Amino acid sequence: MAAMAVQAPRSSKTESYVDNKRKDDIRMANIKAARSVADAVRTSLGPKGMDKMISTASGEVIITNDGATILNKMEVLQPAAKMLVELSKSQDVVAGDGTTTVVVITGAFLKQCQTLLHAGIHPTVASDSLHKTSMKAVEILTAMAVPVELSDRESLVKSASTSLNSKVVSQYSSLLAPLAVDSVLSVLDPAKPDLVDLRDVKIVKKLGGTVDDTELVKGLVFDKKVSHAAGGPTRVENAKIAVIQFQISPPKTDIEQSIVVSDYTQMDRILKEERNYILSMIKKIKATGCNVLLIQKSILRDAVTDLSLHYLAKAKILVIKDVERDDIEFITKTLNCLPIANIEHFRAEKLGYANVVEEVSLGDGKIVKITGIKDMGRTTTVLVRGSNQLVLDEAERSLHDALCVVRCLVNKRFLIAGGGAPEIELSRQLGAWSKVLHGMESFCVKSFAEALEVVPYTLAENAGLNPITIVTELRNRHAQGEINAGINVRKGQITNILEENVVQPLLVSTSAITLAAECVRMILKIDDIVTVR
Amino acid sequence: MITCGVEKLFKDEATEEKGERARMASFVGAMAIADLVKTTLGPKGMDKILQSTGRGHSVTVTNDGATILKSLHIDNPAAKVLIDISKVQDDEVGDGTTSVVVLAGELLREAEKLVGSKIHPMTIISGYRMAADCARRALLDRVKDNKDDAEKFRSDLMRIAMTTLSSKILSQDKEHFAKLAVDAVMRLKGSTNLESIQIIKKAGGSLKDSFLDEGFILDKKIGLGQPKRIENANILVANTAMDTDKVKIYGARVRVDSMAKVAQIEGAEKEKMREKVQKIIGHGINCFVNRQLIYNFPEELFADAGILAIEHADFDGIERLALVTGGEIASTFDNPESVKLGHCKLIEEIMIGEDKLIHFSGVEMGQACTIVLRGASFHVLDEAERSLHDALCVLSQTVNDSRVLLGGGWPEMVMAKAVDELARKTPGKKSHAIEAFSRALIAIPTTIADNAGLDSAELVAQLRAEHHKEHSNAGIDVIIGSVGDMSELGISEAFKVKQAVLLSATEAAEMILRVDEIITCAPRRREDRM
Repeated sequence: MAAMAVQAPRSSKTESYVDNKRKDDIRMANIKAARSVADAVRTSLGPKGMDKMISTASGEVIITNDGATILNKMEVLQPAAKMLVELSKSQDVVAGDGTTTVVVITGAFLKQCQTLLHAGIHPTVASDSLHKTSMKAVEILTAMAVPVELSDRESLVKSASTSLNSKVVSQYSSLLAPLAVDSVLSVLDPAKPDLVDLRDVKIVKKLGGTVDDTELVKGLVFDKKVSHAAGGPTRVENAKIAVIQFQISPPKTDIEQSIVVSDYTQMDRILKEERNYILSMIKKIKATGCNVLLIQKSILRDAVTDLSLHYLAKAKILVIKDVERDDIEFITKTLNCLPIANIEHFRAEKLGYANVVEEVSLGDGKIVKITGIKDMGRTTTVLVRGSNQLVLDEAERSLHDALCVVRCLVNKRFLIAGGGAPEIELSRQLGAWSKVLHGMESFCVKSFAEALEVVPYTLAENAGLNPITIVTELRNRHAQGEINAGINVRKGQITNILEENVVQPLLVSTSAITLAAECVRMILKIDDIVTVR
Repeated sequence: MITCGVEKLFKDEATEEKGERARMASFVGAMAIADLVKTTLGPKGMDKILQSTGRGHSVTVTNDGATILKSLHIDNPAAKVLIDISKVQDDEVGDGTTSVVVLAGELLREAEKLVGSKIHPMTIISGYRMAADCARRALLDRVKDNKDDAEKFRSDLMRIAMTTLSSKILSQDKEHFAKLAVDAVMRLKGSTNLESIQIIKKAGGSLKDSFLDEGFILDKKIGLGQPKRIENANILVANTAMDTDKVKIYGARVRVDSMAKVAQIEGAEKEKMREKVQKIIGHGINCFVNRQLIYNFPEELFADAGILAIEHADFDGIERLALVTGGEIASTFDNPESVKLGHCKLIEEIMIGEDKLIHFSGVEMGQACTIVLRGASFHVLDEAERSLHDALCVLSQTVNDSRVLLGGGWPEMVMAKAVDELARKTPGKKSHAIEAFSRALIAIPTTIADNAGLDSAELVAQLRAEHHKEHSNAGIDVIIGSVGDMSELGISEAFKVKQAVLLSATEAAEMILRVDEIITCAPRRREDRM
């Protein structure tokens, strides 16, 4: 049956040779474009991978090692190359880590496809075999995986630090890894143990200090100053916090209005009235015992005026203004309070309680910390520090990856070895499996199995090792049954990678393989690019 | 072009093409379109990248003929006719959009040869008509109808769904999706109103994680501090401004002489809003869905009243919601008795992937259901939605017209055989046209085989030999790459789809054949628009 497929393209080619040539050209052009994208990020794979400096159109400079970010900023135009960018985004959404790996694997698959197509294999045959390969690969990976319990904090930390090791901030992995694990575990809802909403982990960046100063805050952090223009308090203990969505400023109606002043005495009266109006509002607030106000930003009018700040300061109320509406949900969830939209509804039961609210100077700026919150919701905040903006951004991205890794483990509680071990094992087992298959399929599966060796090969290459020696050595060790033998980049040799604590979530590996396969199949199936409006 | 001394018949820049040249232009245009989509036909058809020239250069990858044709830049009038028939096919039966264009293209290709050998277009047309009629009767003779046997009918539906899906991106999980589609269509109980089947796309997970859920899912958030779960809900669906606390009187302006009065007006405005909210609450509801924003103040009022308020639901969303819960969209709230409320058993927040959505279950309209699609990327999801839509369309048509045919090139071969016999019996030049029709029909299995990279000449010859026997079930088995028994392989197609393909392709070909002059009007000037 498959033998038929071999002859087939040749016979149909004789009929309309020119037509097929064009299609092959488009396919080859797509593959080429996609491969060149893959080659661009190849060098950033692994713990000794290099970083890329990207200067965006707006003149901003980004230094990163994160595949998804690099591709995202590359602004490629060719449709097939764009698909690779999408691919890395998908991996980011699904697993959060392995964004470079997925692109490198895709590149390797495409390279094999090129050879297969040259040998006269029909694209659909190659595509189907690739699907089978990826199915089998997931099976093999699942068999290799080691189950992990969420109570096993050490394993979680290990896998988070594996992810962090390939980043700029790798020297801080001993600090960031436990931090990531703790923050994810603290937002885990016991009622829904498989789901983690990473939106419950807020990352606040603040320039200054070093990455060492990054900390997990059990509470809230605002990257804002306390509004104390009028000398209000900057530290409040036993805080009663209100989140308000109205403004403490002179009244303003939606109907256009103007106040007509006809003589001097009236002017005084109006000023006095304004004062009384604000004062009465503040009295109502004070009456509930509230001493910290978080005021939502308003586009319609000033949230606070100098006058109201003055009175609030007198009433010893700490004010944080310009809170974004989008953040209100997070804040109210954390503080376990309700937002208040009208002064009339200002009641004590809507307040949140915390031990300390204080303004802290950090580097060149100030932040507000709310800690010791009573009945705190399942949220957490991470305050990231860094000596310059580039490090800070990269630290945030790396931390995000680490958080995702932990999330993956919560979703699918299996660990797998890192350091190229799973890929080499896959390559070996798939190679063996291909011998059981028949015809064309066997040929395709075999070449895709070889393609998977690209990961250890690139790892070794990036680490400055001799890739050929390393890969052949690895193959040898795996053939002898050491399924966890992988590249130890630090020592520059092959060791049992599980003992070296280099582990990653199973989900990262499986999704990398399936997504890469899906993307390659899509590229293979395309035979024309049509320009449309 | 100046004729018979008439100085100028048309405006500047208008062109006219006549006779042979006009016909050539239409043939070439139509065939170019047919060739463009030809490679997407069949289970091993290829995809196309559609690259938009608009902003963002967005990229779509698709296998759906109608989608490709819809988005093309086309100037050739004949090509536009083909695009139109594919669109009509999409609206009417949902599937076979590629087949119809390919068949029309092949009919024209054959017609071109006949015209070349000096056969009058009208003769060709009447030959085509006879052939189409004969082909249709041949199909009617061989249809199967399992309407009375519910179980068999369901398996028919499954087969049709799988056949439709096997040429799409969903082919790997076609059984799963065929089941989804059949379940969804069976819920409709014979109505073809696909609006009550909602498709929600959520990135993440794999295609296999897609599922069918009864009821309705709204991709929105519940307001702050409001109940997350309501049983026996009375729902008011509205489209009203609750965004700012505003009751604006256009052009009005107030002059006051003190701050206190400004405060009073502000208070009055607030009071208005409160009244509005009170009126809404007065409807005896516990769920309020608004198309527009609900700002902080009313949101808090709703929260205080223990009402679940959903803001900023999209237009499509509220229309469907009103439909499935049996309510009406309200925009004034003065007469609570005249507003029709929607009802459902349970509203709750559910999580799909990483997002929170609101699920309305036990809705008034029992047949409503939601299909949640999951997939790796948006490309995949969009294409999956298009594929699933095709399957749903075909199934809902089949529920009404339960006649079923086999697939895999089988119907074309059956028709070709009947048409060939007719050609032999028909005296005169027409028989050439009828013969040509049968050749055009055979082009479809040929294309399917070509796309799969099989030896089409060999396969089609084998197929024809098979069909020479009476009541053969032979078709092309693309997976194995040989001639196989279609009824054993479970490849079926709806009669309605095939009939529509046959008739509209013939009609389109006929229409283009009749043309002997193309007049292109002068492009409208920019100044004219002013």
